[in-house]
Amino acid sequence: MKFLQQLINGLQVGSIYALIALGYTMVYGVLQLINFAHGDIIMVGAYTAMVAMTMLGIPFWAATLAAIAVCAALGVTIDRIAYKPLRAMPRINSLITAIGVSLLLQNAAQLIFSPNPQTFPSELKGAPISIGGLDIGFITVVIIFVAVLLMLLLQAFVHKTRMGKAMRAVSEDMGAAQLMGINLSTTISLTFAIGSALAAIGAVLYCSAYSRIAPTMGALPGLKAFIAAVLGGIGVLPGAMLGGFIMGIAESLTKGFISSQLADAVVFGILIVVLLVKPSGILGRRAHEKV
Amino acid sequence: MRKKLQSYGLNILALALLYGLMSFLIGQGAINKYYLGILLSAGIAIIMAVSLNLTIGLLGELALGHAGFMGVGAYAAALFTKNIGMDPATVFPLTLLLGGLAAAVFGLIIGIPALRLKGDYLAIITLGFGEIIRVLIINLDFTGGARGMRGIPRITNFTYVYVLVALVVAVMFTLGRSRHGRAILSIREDPVAAEASGIPTTYYRIFAFTVAAFFAGVAGGLYAHYVGVLDPNNFGFMKSIEYLVMVVLGGMGSITGAISAALVLTALPELLRQFSEYRMLVYSLLLIGMMLFRPAGLLGIREFSLTGLLSYVFRRCPHAEPEEREMPQAVAQEAPPLRPPVAEDAPVLLSAQRLGIQFGGLKALTDFDVTIHAGEIVGLIGPNGAGKTTVFNLLTNVYLPTSGVIEVEGVNVVGVPTHEITQVGIARTFQNIRLFRKLTVLDNVKIAYHNQMQYTSLEGTLRLPRYWSEEARANARAYQLLRVFGLEKLAEERADSLPYGAQRKLEIARALATNPKLLLLDEPAAGMNPIETQDLMATIRNICDRFNVAILLIEHDMSLVMGICERIVVLDYGQMIALGTPDEIRRDPKVIGAYLGGE
Repeated sequence: MKFLQQLINGLQVGSIYALIALGYTMVYGVLQLINFAHGDIIMVGAYTAMVAMTMLGIPFWAATLAAIAVCAALGVTIDRIAYKPLRAMPRINSLITAIGVSLLLQNAAQLIFSPNPQTFPSELKGAPISIGGLDIGFITVVIIFVAVLLMLLLQAFVHKTRMGKAMRAVSEDMGAAQLMGINLSTTISLTFAIGSALAAIGAVLYCSAYSRIAPTMGALPGLKAFIAAVLGGIGVLPGAMLGGFIMGIAESLTKGFISSQLADAVVFGILIVVLLVKPSGILGRRAHEKV
Repeated sequence: MRKKLQSYGLNILALALLYGLMSFLIGQGAINKYYLGILLSAGIAIIMAVSLNLTIGLLGELALGHAGFMGVGAYAAALFTKNIGMDPATVFPLTLLLGGLAAAVFGLIIGIPALRLKGDYLAIITLGFGEIIRVLIINLDFTGGARGMRGIPRITNFTYVYVLVALVVAVMFTLGRSRHGRAILSIREDPVAAEASGIPTTYYRIFAFTVAAFFAGVAGGLYAHYVGVLDPNNFGFMKSIEYLVMVVLGGMGSITGAISAALVLTALPELLRQFSEYRMLVYSLLLIGMMLFRPAGLLGIREFSLTGLLSYVFRRCPHAEPEEREMPQAVAQEAPPLRPPVAEDAPVLLSAQRLGIQFGGLKALTDFDVTIHAGEIVGLIGPNGAGKTTVFNLLTNVYLPTSGVIEVEGVNVVGVPTHEITQVGIARTFQNIRLFRKLTVLDNVKIAYHNQMQYTSLEGTLRLPRYWSEEARANARAYQLLRVFGLEKLAEERADSLPYGAQRKLEIARALATNPKLLLLDEPAAGMNPIETQDLMATIRNICDRFNVAILLIEHDMSLVMGICERIVVLDYGQMIALGTPDEIRRDPKVIGAYLGGE
């Protein structure tokens, strides 16, 4: 019973990791860039929603929309200002700006909201659902449902729409896609916008479940979500989802049965094992570098 | 060499004078406790920045856990001091060494999974590592947990810090300018070309990263015995970022830049304490701003040199006097002789049988057979996409064939790593020129001599006799080689400043420097005009004789191929459709069909 309970906890946190991992994997797929600032987009989404609700008195659903809009715009802006001018430079340069943007967001938030954690006003309340003697929290059901729904929508978008096809083409071969008349700039911006919007939804769900909000709150979930993306196969959308769920379950089982202190260490252990055993990830393909 | 030794002597003298001056000032109390503290912190920061520069600047990999290695070294050294049961001051050098070794072990553990792979996994793994180390230190008993470790004897003094800073900086310079340092630089410039020049890239990636970790550990040992109290939070991600900022500000790859940045960034926050809450904000803006507007750092990538400064002051000459070189006697540029046909019974150099590779469902190459004899020039032609470059990638093991065997002088080489293929005697050039762009022409060639020198990294760092003799020989041979291609006057220029034709020639020279028996040339005449092509044709004939190599040549310029090849292999859609002398190929209906269409 405890095992099942931990499994469900794992699915809950795993859904959120998966939502964040999608943003990492989409950007990585297109630009081969680890967008270190992606974790902090979560934080921005959380604070936006909180400010909208507590200071402006906007209802929960509208605050969520505001968070989505702010994060999407922020994601696109970060790319335009910090990454785009460096596309022709060695990759390490954009990695360093990515770290810089991440620190900038964290420290700006600390100056504006103070470094102390605050409480997020959760509106997702409801009676727990009981299945065979197992109580599943209302919020858990909401999180898993929303996450799975969004992933299906994203999958459909990428495979069924014109813009989705353009995104896949750019991630396959940027130069060739451009020659086929695909607007690189728009496509990359769209990638950042969608990834950041998903992170915003992940942020609202995360805060609704754990209700704590702080300027550095995005760092650890962001890192874990990235590892989830690598685990599932970076650049592959279903891989990010699978990786997210595996990470969530591994983490909550470790917390439940071994030690909560070691949960983070286990997560990195997973990354090291993946890199040693199957660096392309569970669903990833082995990339051939063109020589 | 004499000039070099003079310059070493000058630097050592200057260092000794500075040391004497500083000790005097400290003894007199002109530098008080507070300033001495800043000085020692700055010294430790210099070691950290300079060692991180090895990973970020020279190797070109982003590492985000440098403070974590410092932490490992600090705790290891402190634990040793507390448990040794001997006078800690007398065994202090050993303590520091142990701190460094402990950090190096962790560096290996992290480096091996992360650096075997292409991509930016090192950044993520080191980021995680920094945090894990902090969590572990907090949760372990023998480290003192979250309260920190107290009561470490304060042994670190000015002399220790000064000597170690000087040593580490000297090691960075001497290591950087040895065959090992060049190998590391070549990986930053182009890992594929480095591997093709015989550099074991994975080994040198892990080597550089581990050496950097070692020095961070030494700095940790110094730090532990300077502050006396260790707080696990001092080795977290934010500390690592501070060192990253130093490297970025100083200019990635510049040692003197990293030193200046470390000095400034240690002293400045002390002076501007009231603004401390904005420090990380400023750092983040610095990282972004530097990358966007001045990626080469505030000082650029040029190194400050005392000898250079002196010669500037005394002679008003902006550059240090060029070093005297052991120039080889001019090699007469004789006209290429007519080649005698290769004897029928010339030994078989390379033979590939039923070679094939599939990418997913695409059969890029099927049942490819070729035999190349010593000294032969063989052409490999075919329409675009026929699989010509794939053949090269298979022969040099950039791709692993899905079927078939490749034998070099009777030994199967399938699965042998690319850098070892070079040692077996196959060298190549690339369709899109792949030079070590930011390195000099001379260094481009000398990197390819890597495996023909034997001196160890220790011999290179300490400048032992074998370093001097082998480097001198490599220099002489490199100049000789460059002379053959008419590039010797450009030896000190950056490779990317060369005109296109010269870059093509340099790439061939670099390939020849690995001392191959078989040279694979991938479209050497691409983009050349007819006169340049004629010139190239003569050069290829010339090198074939002079260096006694066989050549397998991919080329679209038919006059070139027909003019110098003894035999020609024709590929179409991954299949060999013809093999024969130029005359036979010219008349082969299948070849005509492949090129012109039709039945």
